[in-house]
Amino acid sequence: MAYVATRGGERAMEQSQRLFRAEMGAITPERVAEVRAAMPYLVDRVMGEASLYDQDLAALALAQTGGELYEAILLLRAWRTTQPRLTVADPVTQEGLFTHRRISAAFKDIPGGQVLGPTLDYAHRILATEVLKGETHVPAPVEPASRPSPARQPSVAAWQADNDLLTAPEPDTATGNDIPDVTREPLMFPADRAHTLQSLARAETGGVLALGYAAQRGYGQAHPTVNELRLAEADVVVRHPRGTRFSAGRVKVSQAEVVSKQGEALGLGFSATLGWNEVKVIAAATLDLNSNGAPKGSATEEEFFLYHTEGVESSGFCIHFKLPHYVTFQSSLDAMRDAKAKRAARARHAEPAE
Amino acid sequence: MTLQSLTRAWEPMSYGFLDASAKREIRRKMLKAIAVPGCQVPYASREVPMARGWGTGGLQISCTLINPRTRIKVIDQGADDSVNAASIRKFLARVSGAPTTNDALEADLIQSRHRVPEEVLREDQVLVLQVPNPEPLRPVQPNMSIARQMHADADYGRMWLQLYEQIVRSGRVMQGASYPSLVNGRFVMTPSPIPRWDVPKLHMARHLTILSAGREKRLHVVPPFTRVEPLVFDDVPYRVEDHGGLTCQRSGARGYFMNEIPQDDGSSIHEVSDSDLGVKTIRRREGEAVAIGATWYENGEMTS
Repeated sequence: MAYVATRGGERAMEQSQRLFRAEMGAITPERVAEVRAAMPYLVDRVMGEASLYDQDLAALALAQTGGELYEAILLLRAWRTTQPRLTVADPVTQEGLFTHRRISAAFKDIPGGQVLGPTLDYAHRILATEVLKGETHVPAPVEPASRPSPARQPSVAAWQADNDLLTAPEPDTATGNDIPDVTREPLMFPADRAHTLQSLARAETGGVLALGYAAQRGYGQAHPTVNELRLAEADVVVRHPRGTRFSAGRVKVSQAEVVSKQGEALGLGFSATLGWNEVKVIAAATLDLNSNGAPKGSATEEEFFLYHTEGVESSGFCIHFKLPHYVTFQSSLDAMRDAKAKRAARARHAEPAE
Repeated sequence: MTLQSLTRAWEPMSYGFLDASAKREIRRKMLKAIAVPGCQVPYASREVPMARGWGTGGLQISCTLINPRTRIKVIDQGADDSVNAASIRKFLARVSGAPTTNDALEADLIQSRHRVPEEVLREDQVLVLQVPNPEPLRPVQPNMSIARQMHADADYGRMWLQLYEQIVRSGRVMQGASYPSLVNGRFVMTPSPIPRWDVPKLHMARHLTILSAGREKRLHVVPPFTRVEPLVFDDVPYRVEDHGGLTCQRSGARGYFMNEIPQDDGSSIHEVSDSDLGVKTIRRREGEAVAIGATWYENGEMTS
């Protein structure tokens, strides 16, 4: 037969995947455990962007994709699609968080105190090259404080609201399945408050940083002050069918409040996400702070930043340009050639007869 | 009666990949879109095991409609053997157990990227088109909320202005694929990036066309026997690609949409874009009794 619908494409596809995976070798339970133990911040970032909190699955996704972050997150999101929603946990409150780190740039000291917790903020960024020479880098042991800081702390914004410096947002009274869920409903504008915060929580860190940074640098109306940045663990409190409420476990969360002077009061921007990811929540809270009244089409307008920081959508669309586009291209060529021929014909007619 | 007898055994994945609640939502949104032809209906759009922009919108529709007896055909740019078409076909077959085919006449459900098959589709067939950008107003209004308002007001003045400006600048409408078209006299839709050649096939068609954009979370529908009119001025008629006179170098098929294949000597040859039509034409030429259906275009001219 002169023309066969080849299966060559399918074979090439299969082999290209094998080639990609060949470099990484076997994925073992030990490797997944090592990824989980060695890279908690990467695992956190992936869980936040996937909006799926499971350290083992996140570590597996990283191992399976060789650390191709967009692929890892897509794997987790696609897996999440197949999972039933069994229940809706109780809302997490700021006062209820088991807080590891909590700082405020707005005041020298705050009720509850500044708690540095784990951070590299003050580290000198020097590569431990001795490891490459065969030595083991053992971190110096932590010396515990004589008095542990309180595990549960009020929010700085609550104090400011009490002191009439800002108007605290109205509490959202929706509970259970009435809470709008951006994974079950389309995002529409003006967006539900819940949809905005959920979208920022699962947004791609780099995208949020780029647009948040643009707003911080001057393409926004409000300059943020970090009112409070918190890394904590939250109890996931659910209801047993018999009615008992219990904690099904703890998840790591980050949250940021940023404020700026808006007239005689402070404007408040907020963001929270699963996992510990400080850059993301500060940048996202900055976008939230700037979104109110932002001009249409500006980087701080809600529709603009929510659409363009959705990592699974943006990365997918970007790589889709690798797909063949020869039909669309042919269609454009046809119009171009025809327009060109018409122009040439007109020019010929316009020439004076010899 | 035991609890076990009332429940189903746990399975790692639902039939057709999507769970029942996702399918229910899509069914409802499809019905709504059928009731309001050409209107973009938002839907939640779950993540599926393929990257956004690679047909996830079409895939969710196919996953919802499919059953073990649905014969599926998947094409990309007209070809069944294109890598992404092969990948989607394999996925659909794997999650549904449905049989597959390359033959447009045998298919119950056709998922396609950027082409409508050349053989006329029937009442019992569904065409699912993958849509990268569901918003025809995007070039004149990138903001989705404002564009939505413009559709509500049937405010299409800027679309017309854009077409007029192209005629003034270039002497013709320069729109390549995705030609904006008025559906049922009310909503302007994008037919997805099908070539202009394919748009007339949707007009008063017997089959149902569902257009779905997974990344943008919108679907719209051209129901059977619905008017689909490309936006044109009375004195500047609609023009399909100038392919009516081209001949396929491999199959000899003539008068269909072609792929241009550049040659080393600077010239080009053409191959029929609907790859299975090409295959069938060759098989018939070689003496096989192959059924080729009636085609929308005959001798390079749209019939009816």
